[in-house]
Amino acid sequence: MRFNFVFREVLIGLRRNITMTIAMILTTAISLGLLGTGLLAVHTIDDTEELYGDRLEVVVSMTLDASTRDQDCSQSICAGLRDELRSSPLVQSVNFENQQQAYARFQRLFQGQTLAGLARPQGLPASLRVKLVDPNQVGALRALLQGKVGVSRITDQRDVVERLFSFLRTIRDVVFTLAIIEVVAAALLISNMVQLSAFNRRTEVGVMRLVGATRWYTQLPFLLEAAVTGVLGTALAVGSLLVGKAMFLDSAITNGFGDGVIPIVQYSDILSISPWLFLLGIGIASVTGYVTLRLYVRL
Amino acid sequence: MIRLENVSKSYRTSTRPALDRVSVDVGKGEFVFLIGPSGSGKSTFLRLLLREDVPTKGDVFVSDWNVAKLPRRRVPRLRQRVGCVFQDFRLLQNKSVGENVAFALEVIGKPAGTVRKVVPEVLELVGLEGKAHRMPRELSGGEQQRVAVARAFVNRPLVLLADEPTGNLDPDTSQDIMLLLERINRTGTTVMMATHDHSIVDSMRRRVVELDLGRVIRDETRGVYGVGR
Repeated sequence: MRFNFVFREVLIGLRRNITMTIAMILTTAISLGLLGTGLLAVHTIDDTEELYGDRLEVVVSMTLDASTRDQDCSQSICAGLRDELRSSPLVQSVNFENQQQAYARFQRLFQGQTLAGLARPQGLPASLRVKLVDPNQVGALRALLQGKVGVSRITDQRDVVERLFSFLRTIRDVVFTLAIIEVVAAALLISNMVQLSAFNRRTEVGVMRLVGATRWYTQLPFLLEAAVTGVLGTALAVGSLLVGKAMFLDSAITNGFGDGVIPIVQYSDILSISPWLFLLGIGIASVTGYVTLRLYVRL
Repeated sequence: MIRLENVSKSYRTSTRPALDRVSVDVGKGEFVFLIGPSGSGKSTFLRLLLREDVPTKGDVFVSDWNVAKLPRRRVPRLRQRVGCVFQDFRLLQNKSVGENVAFALEVIGKPAGTVRKVVPEVLELVGLEGKAHRMPRELSGGEQQRVAVARAFVNRPLVLLADEPTGNLDPDTSQDIMLLLERINRTGTTVMMATHDHSIVDSMRRRVVELDLGRVIRDETRGVYGVGR
């Protein structure tokens, strides 16, 4: 195998179809960039779920009446509920929050906002904050507390966070769909480029066949041409993801959701998906190139 | 070296076979003219030898290869031992003379050292020494055909096939190309040349195989183009 010869042929091919080559690199870059974004979104969703999974509780709000009368959960209504919860196999732990503590939490959450000034401790309900053994068993907990005296409302905090997750999942789905469309576009462009390249080089290919070059030798320059554009496209995609993180993503997450609400995408996350992107980029290019040569080009 | 046994070739698009029960036996080192009017089957004959096509019936042998039954992956081996030149030269216009000849060796994986050594030798053999760096368009038709011959011969084939190699050349230049083919023939390479050129066939007095409507109608050891033609 004469590598420098094959290498030279590849360069000539890429230069001859320069506009096509650029189009292909860009399409590959966009498709793999979107795919990478999708993968990172999945990663972020997993991280976020993990981040909140431990903290989320089911809040059993007491009626205002019971809240005002009982500030330390020592009276029969509250204590009875607490004991019942503690003895339930569904429950991992129960903590009581009285009106003063609820007020403090409220002030912390709405710090600097008008709402904070309007609230009074007497207006906020005391609550039993329940951590479940299995967070999915909220239904069973609701059934357990159904109709009990002193309970005004049961709130699963996961329902609130679920909105954030569903937002992230929508982003992920949109990005994946775009990525798939772009991958198809990239594959079609590669197929076109290989056909164009083979047409441009029909005399060379004819001479190669005539003097007894093997099929492998004749096809290799075309396949490498496709693979090189695949590599360049992927490199551009990974580079864009890194630059995108540094320049836009970090500040967008911090400004949009506040510090620590959504875990920031790390450089190592991008680097850990990039080998797969490269594999995919080269794979798509080579497979498409090979199939095109088999189906459309007589070598 | 070349043997066709009862070979027929039909194309679906034609009612008449391109070759009809053709049997020809060519020995090693022979020089054979393949003559006949257009459509007589000369090109089909050469295509079968190169395995560009397979016969509908019969067997084609080149050296030890049963060409028609050769598996696809072995075809390159055959073509490495069968050189070929055409009326239209088929040179690569973006490569120099030297690169055109070297290309034939590079694509079959010959080492760079061999290429550097052999290409100047063969250019000298065809009379193009000192023109390795010229581009094909800077050369005359005769010179371009010499490059094509050099490319076909650079890998020292057992057989050299020539399909109307003088068809685009004036008589003097044609004579030069014929001298070159003779010189190559003297190295032991079997040469088979399809041609319409009366004067060349008549002046060389080599073996003549004449085809008409796909059949061999004449096979003479020291023939001329044809009486009364």
